[in-house]
Amino acid sequence: MPDFPTIAEASRLIADKKLSPVELTQSCLDRIARYDGVLHSFLLPTPERAMADARAAEARIMAGRSRGPLDGIPIGHKDIYNTAGIRTTGHSKLLENNVPDRDSTVVRKWAEAGTVMLGKLATHEFAMGGPSFDLPWPPARNPWNPAHFTSGSSSGTGAAVTAGLALGGTGSDTGGSIRGPAALCGLAGIKPTYGLCSRAGVLPLSFTLDHTGPLAWTVEDCALLLQAMAGYDPEDPASADRPVPDFTADLDKGVKGLRIGVVRHFFETDHRVGDTVRTQIDRALDIFRDLGAEVRDIALSPLEVWHACGFLILTAESYAIHEPWLKTRFNDYGELFRDRIALGGLIRGSDYVQALRRRRSLCLELKAAMADIDILVSAVQPAEAPPIEDVPKWATMEKPSFTIPFNVTGSPALALCTGFGAGGLPVALQLVGKPFSEAMLFRAGHAYETATEWRRQRPRLATPKAA
Amino acid sequence: MKPKISEDAFAVLVEQAGLPLTDQQRRTLYEAYGMVEAMLARVTEPLPREAEPALIFVPEVR
Repeated sequence: MPDFPTIAEASRLIADKKLSPVELTQSCLDRIARYDGVLHSFLLPTPERAMADARAAEARIMAGRSRGPLDGIPIGHKDIYNTAGIRTTGHSKLLENNVPDRDSTVVRKWAEAGTVMLGKLATHEFAMGGPSFDLPWPPARNPWNPAHFTSGSSSGTGAAVTAGLALGGTGSDTGGSIRGPAALCGLAGIKPTYGLCSRAGVLPLSFTLDHTGPLAWTVEDCALLLQAMAGYDPEDPASADRPVPDFTADLDKGVKGLRIGVVRHFFETDHRVGDTVRTQIDRALDIFRDLGAEVRDIALSPLEVWHACGFLILTAESYAIHEPWLKTRFNDYGELFRDRIALGGLIRGSDYVQALRRRRSLCLELKAAMADIDILVSAVQPAEAPPIEDVPKWATMEKPSFTIPFNVTGSPALALCTGFGAGGLPVALQLVGKPFSEAMLFRAGHAYETATEWRRQRPRLATPKAA
Repeated sequence: MKPKISEDAFAVLVEQAGLPLTDQQRRTLYEAYGMVEAMLARVTEPLPREAEPALIFVPEVR
């Protein structure tokens, strides 16, 4: 068994009976015990549950009753996903002892697909306030350098999967919380189209911007995970009632003939990225051209407008959710979450409606801009991960986000590792598709990963003694 | 980015919201509020009167 099998590799080995789900799970649990004292990616490992899941998977597989490619694959769940009988905290003191009695829909679907649950993963408080040092648990740290930030809010998933403590995991993305950690940790992560994956049983942050989705080492793994996650759920009012395509069917089709639009002003003018990020985006575009795609620049409204629209909606909706506790237990929140969200209480109703009207005009603008384009390219993060202690309190407001525009539009968006910067930490790009075109994003992302070497580099991990 | 609103007017906003802030906490939010004002300006540029919001009311609740 490779030290760090991908889901696809492990799945093939398990199907060929060359890898035991029990051994694979034990290997992940051993790695958690060895490395997570530095990374803090798990809030709650669940080793007994994991071994029970693994033994059940192994029995099914040996009896010829495999549930498919995820049967016996060890994963973790971001700690905003409800898990029946297992603590779900939102990484917050306010839910420190919260034990749901039902699984969220996505947790149930992954369990039905045969995944092995290793535990609950760190997040920023309620998927917004981080990195925070005043919560009951420390923030997750970047496996490439534990002194550095993972981005968030799916910070524990980013750290655990990068370090090979889990083969994949759930994230959520309201303004970039899947794509940010994927970028700074060097993973693939997809925010699917709004409505493709259920939000039922997931702690909400902003009803109209929240998305659930997976993070994994490769695009192919993301496709496998999304397959078991997507689909109509009557318990989610925003769920899209439409068939789910086969996300891996066209994975090897390449990008020949695809039309790629580059929103260059987003990352060269509106929020100027570092040299490595820009250079690696340009190199990726060269690869797409060499593989037969057509590439051209396109222009959209300034990034600041998209960011303002998303931020105001997010903050106002979050405030509405948290208002009762903000008024009665303000100091039980971490400083970052409470101060960021408290601003939402100062936004007038008419301003919220204006943001929603602007949102529709931006959705129409993107639709028109993509009329003769299949995929947009932009940045995910401006640079490599900064030191975790240096992340400003108002980071989400000071500079416009590259990711929130596609929460505003609900478009599918995939973050991909494009190499490493001078500090040895990953950099990334973002591929954005038309609604429900996830399969095309996977196709393009897989073509890029296959043409480059970045998936062959894993971090050298520190143990608590050595850290 | 210094807020356009005065500190006194901001205190009224906070009071209307019902947030139990200390003076220090209110000052912290005040310092950040200029960024909110800038965002509000970016989304409230006039749209045609008939421009609908992104979310529409659907009577068939599920």
